[in-house]
Amino acid sequence: MSVAPASGALSDGDNACLGCHGQEGLSKTFGKGEALPLRVDAAAFEGSVHAPLGCTACHSDVDLKAHPGAGKAFDSVRAYAVAKATVCQQCHEDAFKQHEGSVHARRMREGSALAPTCTGCHGAHGVTPKTAYQTCVGCHSAALAAHQKWLPNAALHHEAVSCAACHAPAALRMVDLRLHDPATKTWAVEKPGKPWFEKLARSVDADGNGLDARELRDLLKRINPEGTAAPKTFRGRIELRTNVEAHRLSDKAGAIRACDGCHRDGAEPFRNVTVSVTGPDGRPLRHAAQQEILSSASAVASLPEFYAIGGTRNTLLDVLFVLALLAGVGFPLGHLAVRWLLRKYRA
Amino acid sequence: MLRIYVHPLPVRIWHWTNAFGFIALILTGIQIRYVDLIGLMSFKAAVSVHNAVGWLLIGNFFLWLGFYLFTDKIRVYHPELSPLKHFRDSFRQAQYYGYGIFKGDPNPHHLSAYHKFNALQSMTYQVIMQLLVPLQFVTGVLLWDLKRFAGAVEFFGGVRVVDTVHVLLFIFFTAFIFIHPYLASLGHTPSAHFKAMISGYEEVEEAPGGAPFRDAG
Repeated sequence: MSVAPASGALSDGDNACLGCHGQEGLSKTFGKGEALPLRVDAAAFEGSVHAPLGCTACHSDVDLKAHPGAGKAFDSVRAYAVAKATVCQQCHEDAFKQHEGSVHARRMREGSALAPTCTGCHGAHGVTPKTAYQTCVGCHSAALAAHQKWLPNAALHHEAVSCAACHAPAALRMVDLRLHDPATKTWAVEKPGKPWFEKLARSVDADGNGLDARELRDLLKRINPEGTAAPKTFRGRIELRTNVEAHRLSDKAGAIRACDGCHRDGAEPFRNVTVSVTGPDGRPLRHAAQQEILSSASAVASLPEFYAIGGTRNTLLDVLFVLALLAGVGFPLGHLAVRWLLRKYRA
Repeated sequence: MLRIYVHPLPVRIWHWTNAFGFIALILTGIQIRYVDLIGLMSFKAAVSVHNAVGWLLIGNFFLWLGFYLFTDKIRVYHPELSPLKHFRDSFRQAQYYGYGIFKGDPNPHHLSAYHKFNALQSMTYQVIMQLLVPLQFVTGVLLWDLKRFAGAVEFFGGVRVVDTVHVLLFIFFTAFIFIHPYLASLGHTPSAHFKAMISGYEEVEEAPGGAPFRDAG
């Protein structure tokens, strides 16, 4: 057995814990004979959003004088994970309440061994802001195939709409326009220690009422100075306004299936718009925008890669459509009327 | 009146399939785009019908293209190579629709089997059939499966560019679908051209001396 090297980013106390829990092979056996590996990946913990809190924030029940000891007895790894969810609840009370009304919680109460606990979706020590999609398809691997049976452009919906946007039907949604880098074909990420996006967005949005169409164009010009070989663009996603509500997931019978929940003018998700860049820790850094930016004529240039039927309907095209209808009906009627009025001259 | 065979069966099948298909595409397109204003059918049903009819009309387009490419009837689409003559004939035709028709002047265009389009129609249908209809089909196919055709969508400038082109053409065809049948009703009787597109035979006036007007094309 080798002792794991100490991490400079973690506290002495955490490194002391990892002195043992960083080792391979350490495990705890529960009543039914199941073994829980006790090794913690130091690098994963260091990169997690919980790293600043330290080990004791979640493991305050450990009595160092009696550790390692028998501790509280559990029948199984599952029983241990269910019990430890109360630790998450201490800080994440809102999310916990939402989760209590979810299909996952209901299945857990019904005794399902597959219903995920907190760590089932978020992991135990390497908690990072993963996207909901990665998390969901970890278990629901057949989700795309199931949606392709009834949902047009299912793969695109899976890319542009977060799972919870349809499967948490009571939640409020929004459009997040995230900066995308065509050079790397991934989301543009703000580098650690070099914040720029929020400051730039605030300076462009001088009146502070959210970016309008002109200000969005200015922001893009500032992000992509003249001559940029592969200009970054904003790509839209339908997400929840607060991720807390993403915990109240319904079963598929309760999920939103009505297309016109989004594909209509003024649909709820399109009334709240943000522009964002991915922060150094993976979480988005957002700035508010006005909903008109989605339907303005200039969106063809400023948002060429985001379009949702109905939801981002261009008002100018609507006007052209009405004019075309008037011309289509008016020309024959007008021509016919003149022919009728002048009929005696033809005779 | 003489009866001459102007519209062969494949053209008539293509024409009526295209006509009713375009009406279906326009109606379902309106339903898809304005689901908050119109309730002809559900959004999903409109998308399904729109996709199915779109594919049908793409196949129908190739029926039209194949017929004209492999028969001598393609002569009806041969452009007038003299710009002066084309401009003069177009002006005469426009003058007829805008003025002459009201005082009973004869139609300056004399129809024949290889010269069924007047100068204005000739130019319009060249643009519609070789540019606008294919462009509408291409943009429609890209929108049908944006992930599969992501590379092409990016090449054209993004999904909003592709969709805007598709909607602009939809707007054009919406106006066209009203104006086209009206112009078709301006034959020697209001139903003459409609009957001809069913039977294939157009009725044409005889030239002085008893012969039909000769094909100028």
